[in-house]
Amino acid sequence: MIELLNRPVLRLVLLGFVALALQTTLLADMTLDGVVVQLMLCLSVAAGVSGGSERGALVGFMFGAMFDLVLSTPLGLTALVYGLAGFVAGYVNSLTANHPWWLGSIVVASSTALATFVHPIFASWVGVDGWLTLRVVQVAGVVAAFNAVLSPLAVPLMRWALVIRRRARLAPPPEIFL
Amino acid sequence: MPVYSVSRRRALALLALSSILLITLDLQGNSIVDGVRRAFGTVFEPIQDSARVVTRPIENAWRGITDYSDLEDENRRLQDLVDQQEGAFIAALATARDAQELLALNGIDDLTEISSITAQVVGGAPSNFSQTVEINQGSRDGLRVGMPVVNAGGLVGKVTQVFSARSIVLLANDATYAVPVQIINLPEATTTTSTTTTSTTTTTSTTSTSVPSSEAPPLGVATSVVDQSTSSPAPSTSVASIITAAPASTVSPPSAQTSTTINIDNLPATEIGALRGRGPDQPPIVEFVEQSSRFGEIRVGAVVITAGGSKSLAPRGIVVGRVVKIVERPGTAGAILEVRLSARLTSLNFVRVLLYQPAVSE
Repeated sequence: MIELLNRPVLRLVLLGFVALALQTTLLADMTLDGVVVQLMLCLSVAAGVSGGSERGALVGFMFGAMFDLVLSTPLGLTALVYGLAGFVAGYVNSLTANHPWWLGSIVVASSTALATFVHPIFASWVGVDGWLTLRVVQVAGVVAAFNAVLSPLAVPLMRWALVIRRRARLAPPPEIFL
Repeated sequence: MPVYSVSRRRALALLALSSILLITLDLQGNSIVDGVRRAFGTVFEPIQDSARVVTRPIENAWRGITDYSDLEDENRRLQDLVDQQEGAFIAALATARDAQELLALNGIDDLTEISSITAQVVGGAPSNFSQTVEINQGSRDGLRVGMPVVNAGGLVGKVTQVFSARSIVLLANDATYAVPVQIINLPEATTTTSTTTTSTTTTTSTTSTSVPSSEAPPLGVATSVVDQSTSSPAPSTSVASIITAAPASTVSPPSAQTSTTINIDNLPATEIGALRGRGPDQPPIVEFVEQSSRFGEIRVGAVVITAGGSKSLAPRGIVVGRVVKIVERPGTAGAILEVRLSARLTSLNFVRVLLYQPAVSE
């Protein structure tokens, strides 16, 4: 059983369900000026920061697809955006060798803002109109700020979920050996 | 130095292509995708319910902190509304009864004949872009995708996803929401009422009451009589003439009976258009308005109701709101009407799902 729990896939599925349940209940109602905090997006970009761009993209795709399944929007749209956000977060984070916590927060915030801007653009490409308004700026600001605050918790949580050991974490990113 | 290997690029491209494939399949209405959605909803439902129970105290505390002043304001506003409604209710009862009789006489469906289920809103939209709410009734209560949802104010939206014990309602201000509507231009003079008063004498006096109105009254507010004159009204067609003249010998207490007189020229004209939501910040609009010569110019304050029809998901007669702005467009494009919804979508609590499905979907 413990061996099973050490598998990243199972941890991610469990974490995904818990985060989705919080997103659709508590966070959906606890809005700030009408803006909903995006926990699923926060965890997706945190996966990129803690595990690199590839893992970030995979986790983002997985969490986005789970979120898509409870939304009325086209299936795959959020998966695409969150996957992209996770990838970008991992890529930007890999550009520096030193990773202080505040840098992680900045990367999480900027990736979140990017994803929030890209989401309505992708939506309009697939025929979902009306999302691309000036409100996106407000939504991006609030969600990015919240995710930046949550990142000191989200990054270690994703490190646990992805089973990234301390030795692997402190090692240089794999990209530089390629 | 290559930052990403070919295999990694392939993996990322595969993810992107998978997303695009899913989007394409879903937009074309794939049964497998629908099945996966339903299965996920069934698995996720108990987890979500548990989370709701656990997080309810936190949520209530948050609402208590952030919404207290709003609640006080709303309470005062509602008290004023209740006072106004008490007077309007009695007048509306008589009018509604007349209207139902007329509808029945003409074989027209009435909203009161459609069964409905009351549901409570248990959750908001988890996303910042789609305008949805979650209600606590599902397929086991008879709900189906597409059914219209209303509240005391009027149209709220439609059911878009149904699970066994809960459903997702797409709100009328969502950008993907659309419904055919009718615009009713209220006449200049709203009502013409003839009152026949009978008393112990055989003398009958007729009083005409006319209400000049330059602006339509707000929804749900009773029209007050501001002018009374004894002059006879314009030529009119009497639909129900109740003239009671008590015999001279009979001694009875003074009583008053009201007969409704309808001037055909004053009857509200209607036009058809399509209502479309535009997100939470912008009011919904009515497009493709087919203006006829009888209808004349659409005025600000015109009432918008659902148009019904064999293909519409909503029956005729659900109050949608009022026209608040008219944006003229050059050429044959026609005007765009901005509509203020009569239902307050930001503070929904109880809603009614009409168990209505258009004839073509049965």
